[in-house]
Amino acid sequence: MPLLARSQFLQLKQVLSLLIVLLSSTNISRADQPNPKADQLEFFERKVRPLLSEHCYSCHSSQAKTIHGSLRLDSVSSILEGGDSGKLLVPGKPEESLLIESIRYDGDYQMPPKGKMAEHEIELLMQWVEQGAYFPSSTDEPLQTNGSIDFTEGRKHWSFQPVLQQKLPDVINSDWPQTRIDTFLLAEMEQKSLKPTMRADRTTLVRRLSFDLIGLPPAPEQIHNYIDDDSPEAYARLVDQLLNSPQYGEKWGRWWLDLARYTDRTASWLPQTSQAHLYRDWVVNAFNADMPYDEFIRRQLATDLMPETGPEDLPALGFLSLSPTYWKELKLPCEVIKVIVADEWEERVDAVSRTFLGLTVACARCHDHKFDPISADDYYALAGIFASTRFAERPLISKEKYEPVRIAKEVVGKFEAEIAKLKKEKPIPQEKIDELVAKIAETKASTPDYDTPMANALVEESTYVVRAGKTPQDGTRMEYRAEPRDLPSFIRGNPNRPGPVIPRRFLTVLTEEPEPYQNGSGRLELANSITTDAASLSARVIVNRIWMAHFGQGIVDTPSNFGRQGGQPTHPELLEDLAARFISQDWSIKQLHREILLSAVWQQSSNSNSNAARIDPENRLLSHMNRRRLGFEEWRDAMLLVSGSLDPLFGGPSVALDDKNNVRRTLYATVNRRDMSPTLMIHDFPDPTQHSPKRTTTTTALQGLYALNGELLAEQSKQIVDRLFSEFSENDRTRITQAYWLLFSREPTVRELELGLSYLGNGDEELKRWQQYIHVLLASNEFVFID
Amino acid sequence: MNSQRQIETVGRRQFLKQFSGVSGGLGAAHLMGMPLELAASDSFAAAGAHFPPKAKRVIHLFMNGGPYQSDLFDPKPALEKYAGTKPSGADLLTERPTGGLLPSPFKFIKSGESGVPVSELLPQLSQHIDKICVLNSLHADNPNHGPALLQMNNGTIIPTRPSMGAWMLYGLGSENSNLPGYVVLCPGRPVRFSILWNSAFLPSKYQGTYVNHSTIQPDKMLPNLKNSNWDHTVQREQLDLLGQLNADHLASRTHTSDLNARTEAMETAYRMQFEASVTFDLNQESKASREAYGSGHFANGCLLARRMVERGVRFVQVYYGNGQPWDTHSGHNEKVPELCKTIDQPIAALLNDLEQRGLLEDTLVVWGGEFGRTPTSENGNGRDHNHHGFTMWMAGGGVKGGMTYGETDEFGFKAVTDKVHVHDLHATILHLLGLDHERLTYRHAGRDFRLTDVHGRVVHEIIS
Repeated sequence: MPLLARSQFLQLKQVLSLLIVLLSSTNISRADQPNPKADQLEFFERKVRPLLSEHCYSCHSSQAKTIHGSLRLDSVSSILEGGDSGKLLVPGKPEESLLIESIRYDGDYQMPPKGKMAEHEIELLMQWVEQGAYFPSSTDEPLQTNGSIDFTEGRKHWSFQPVLQQKLPDVINSDWPQTRIDTFLLAEMEQKSLKPTMRADRTTLVRRLSFDLIGLPPAPEQIHNYIDDDSPEAYARLVDQLLNSPQYGEKWGRWWLDLARYTDRTASWLPQTSQAHLYRDWVVNAFNADMPYDEFIRRQLATDLMPETGPEDLPALGFLSLSPTYWKELKLPCEVIKVIVADEWEERVDAVSRTFLGLTVACARCHDHKFDPISADDYYALAGIFASTRFAERPLISKEKYEPVRIAKEVVGKFEAEIAKLKKEKPIPQEKIDELVAKIAETKASTPDYDTPMANALVEESTYVVRAGKTPQDGTRMEYRAEPRDLPSFIRGNPNRPGPVIPRRFLTVLTEEPEPYQNGSGRLELANSITTDAASLSARVIVNRIWMAHFGQGIVDTPSNFGRQGGQPTHPELLEDLAARFISQDWSIKQLHREILLSAVWQQSSNSNSNAARIDPENRLLSHMNRRRLGFEEWRDAMLLVSGSLDPLFGGPSVALDDKNNVRRTLYATVNRRDMSPTLMIHDFPDPTQHSPKRTTTTTALQGLYALNGELLAEQSKQIVDRLFSEFSENDRTRITQAYWLLFSREPTVRELELGLSYLGNGDEELKRWQQYIHVLLASNEFVFID
Repeated sequence: MNSQRQIETVGRRQFLKQFSGVSGGLGAAHLMGMPLELAASDSFAAAGAHFPPKAKRVIHLFMNGGPYQSDLFDPKPALEKYAGTKPSGADLLTERPTGGLLPSPFKFIKSGESGVPVSELLPQLSQHIDKICVLNSLHADNPNHGPALLQMNNGTIIPTRPSMGAWMLYGLGSENSNLPGYVVLCPGRPVRFSILWNSAFLPSKYQGTYVNHSTIQPDKMLPNLKNSNWDHTVQREQLDLLGQLNADHLASRTHTSDLNARTEAMETAYRMQFEASVTFDLNQESKASREAYGSGHFANGCLLARRMVERGVRFVQVYYGNGQPWDTHSGHNEKVPELCKTIDQPIAALLNDLEQRGLLEDTLVVWGGEFGRTPTSENGNGRDHNHHGFTMWMAGGGVKGGMTYGETDEFGFKAVTDKVHVHDLHATILHLLGLDHERLTYRHAGRDFRLTDVHGRVVHEIIS
């Protein structure tokens, strides 16, 4: 569909009327045509339209399945507007008309693509253009989508409504609900004649809880303590204990990093992210501190602009400053580079809008959103914010404190340059070099905070892509200016076809009357809009994400798309109620976990009642728990914990996953956007070049090979055997029992004991048999799936 | 399970439809118990094609770095006439400044019955020209290696989209579950590396499997192919125990499809150890066959590719070498004959071999780089990148042989006639595989994505 801003549309209308006047006046002046219009009409309808229809309309008309090149040839206005490649024709001048060039196969386009038209047909179309390209005004004018979005209507979409705490529905089995959540779910189940299944047994619950909250299996003592604790508060206590564990932040921080497309490294030719882990650790700490979610959003988008936070909080900006960047070859013309930079802005709009708002705003870069009330202007209103923000490393100490460090770094830089120069001399003047080396050491030592970490942060500078010289051949220069910039809307998303300038502001549909942002880039205002104007939507989105992480399915099954093409909530009132109370409980994520985990529905067994498969095969109504396969991180971490080799070190720089000495939690394994670890890649780790709404679990033979032959399982089974033999030296029976407690959180059955003993045999290769045996347990479904 | 369920809906639905058509006696509950993964991949393979395919598998011979078209397939006699000058039309912008026109010193020979001109540097390949369709009018959007590699592999110049091979697997599945369905052979690392075969937002099972064949010991090629501690007898015992434990585990549980799928995947992995070890083992080839392909990494890559497609691997890419060996910015005329020597015999042998085995008719062979090179000189004896016009060729798999399609301008700089954009190439490759590039879509981030984005035209003129 053509993309026209309102002002452009008006312009077009003017041009159009002018053109009609011009056309008619030319025609009138032709004395040999007493009724030119009738002639032209006949010529058009008999000769021209059939040609257009035959050769062009399958791709270039309202009937086309996809309108190619956004060009339509079936109305006056669309012909005048042209398509992606610009103006289609100049009435009266066939030689200057792209249409004619294309059908003659003379230019960049060869139309129709299936084969050149016959010469006489081309002649006819040339004649038509030469005579002014008469086209009868028709009733099938294309919709001017831009400006035509009915935002009032759009605001009625369910996810844009203000959230309100809901009245609890009536239920028959009123003994079952433990929390408000349960009542909502039970009501739906009862409607469909479904009954919730029984509560999971206690050991299953401890295991499920432990993996869900800290991503690690429970220690056998923890299980025993819980089972032995008869008090009615035992379960809630365990939930709190786990929520308060620092490992909670490690598990849920990684969960957030999927959304934030976190990377530790970028390619060598791109801006570097040497201390990316500061952002990772910031996220982990924020989860541990139960930072209110609205605050969590504000700080990630704009902590540098918040008066209440200091430079120590700058790592929060990693959400934006670790965004994917693309290679920009500055030798190329700026027209090429502009497109790449526009692609980067699009990525930011996409990540921010999908992560925080569950809206696919990036779909509106080239045209108004096809489904949601988001205009292309809305897109450029947001893109301008990112065009006014530049990535930069910044120290975690105040400007004043950093100033001497900055100077010292300059000095050291000069010394280093001198050394480099001296090293090229022959013979190398070692003494001079040594002197300089000493000076460098001295400068560093005498400057407090010299090694202060530098966060990947942001500064308020806007980006312009300009010609480096007079011609495109001179290449491109990136220019950064202190003042923010509003972007023009790009026709069809093409930055080389700028339309009217759109002030930076929030999405129209989420505000009554969006005001232009005034404060610098507008990042803080954006964060405020997201957490106030759009609070209801933001709360719905995060509540649904957390729900999804606990249940394996969302109330809305498209966690990053709450627009019209997204899923409908299975339990609308429940989502309302949860989101409303989430906001009123100060956006506390831990409180939300607590409420979910204390619900009877979450504590159900993962085995279903017999009629569930028939009535609700997809378990949308949650009449039983969903079994869940561990993510790769949890699987590996669990092995390391059980073997006793897990390094509890918290935070800090990443370590290569395949490093033999890496026994840290998988969260700390290096994520390299350019060069992903093959192990992570085959285990469904999300692509860190873009926002990932949820992990897609696949089951493949390559994963099987990893389980059978990979170093990790071989090494960890060895370690576990060592532990079993040093701690439980009695006999194989006690060792098997202990292995089951460590790995599966339960006692082995008699048959399992027998299977184990028979595998182990009485041979002299006892330790080897043990390793093989433990290896099997680590690869088993029971270890990898959580009931 | 749930995420899988969503992704696989189409596949499973098709599977159910198909399966119930064959054996109406099976109830839905039973089908739900089928290993989901198998159900999905089988159904994609059988029902995923939009129309009858001409090609079932693809070998992509990737001349990373970008070969110069007018040395090899696109003769330009005008270069002699204007040597050293820079007439208009030869002043297109590429990455680096270039000088005057630099004629190719290599001769062309009209080859085969078709008389298609082929460079003297490729004497053996020229004997197969009647099987080959030379596309002389390729063009792309960016003259840098990274973006161009991305465009050739993933359809866009930014690194966020699934690779062509991932789309193929998504559309068609694999023919042999005991081998990876999409293998990338490179004796080293092409620039941009794993992004070139990633699955991006498609499920990760569709990603390519990277194989560094600079050593040709099978267990060093595919990670985790061999167990360094236990032999197969022990592994069988382990898997038997695993099977028993998994069966017991499953017996007390409902909703077992994902449990079954994982047990099955372990068994497939066990079989893959044998099948991949054989497939990747060039020592299984006769001496005559090894000699036919010749020696060197690229020869080995071609032979490995044949061994793979023969066993049902859907898509094999053979990168010529580490980094970008065809990137001849200097000493071009000295390097090109050496490079050609190492591809001429292996490609000829591959085409011959595929034909002899009856595989060529449904195996598409694609040759080319990420772009071509300039007809103008860079620093006197080199050539810069050129994305405005370059040559690729295709053979087998439903493509007409012994023909050229499209033309560049008189200097071989820019494609001018019957232009084929990379999107068009992708559309055509998918078409040959029975896939409609406009209908092979995946819903992500609010819209339906395609390999060809909103572009692409099937070049019907070259399809037999």
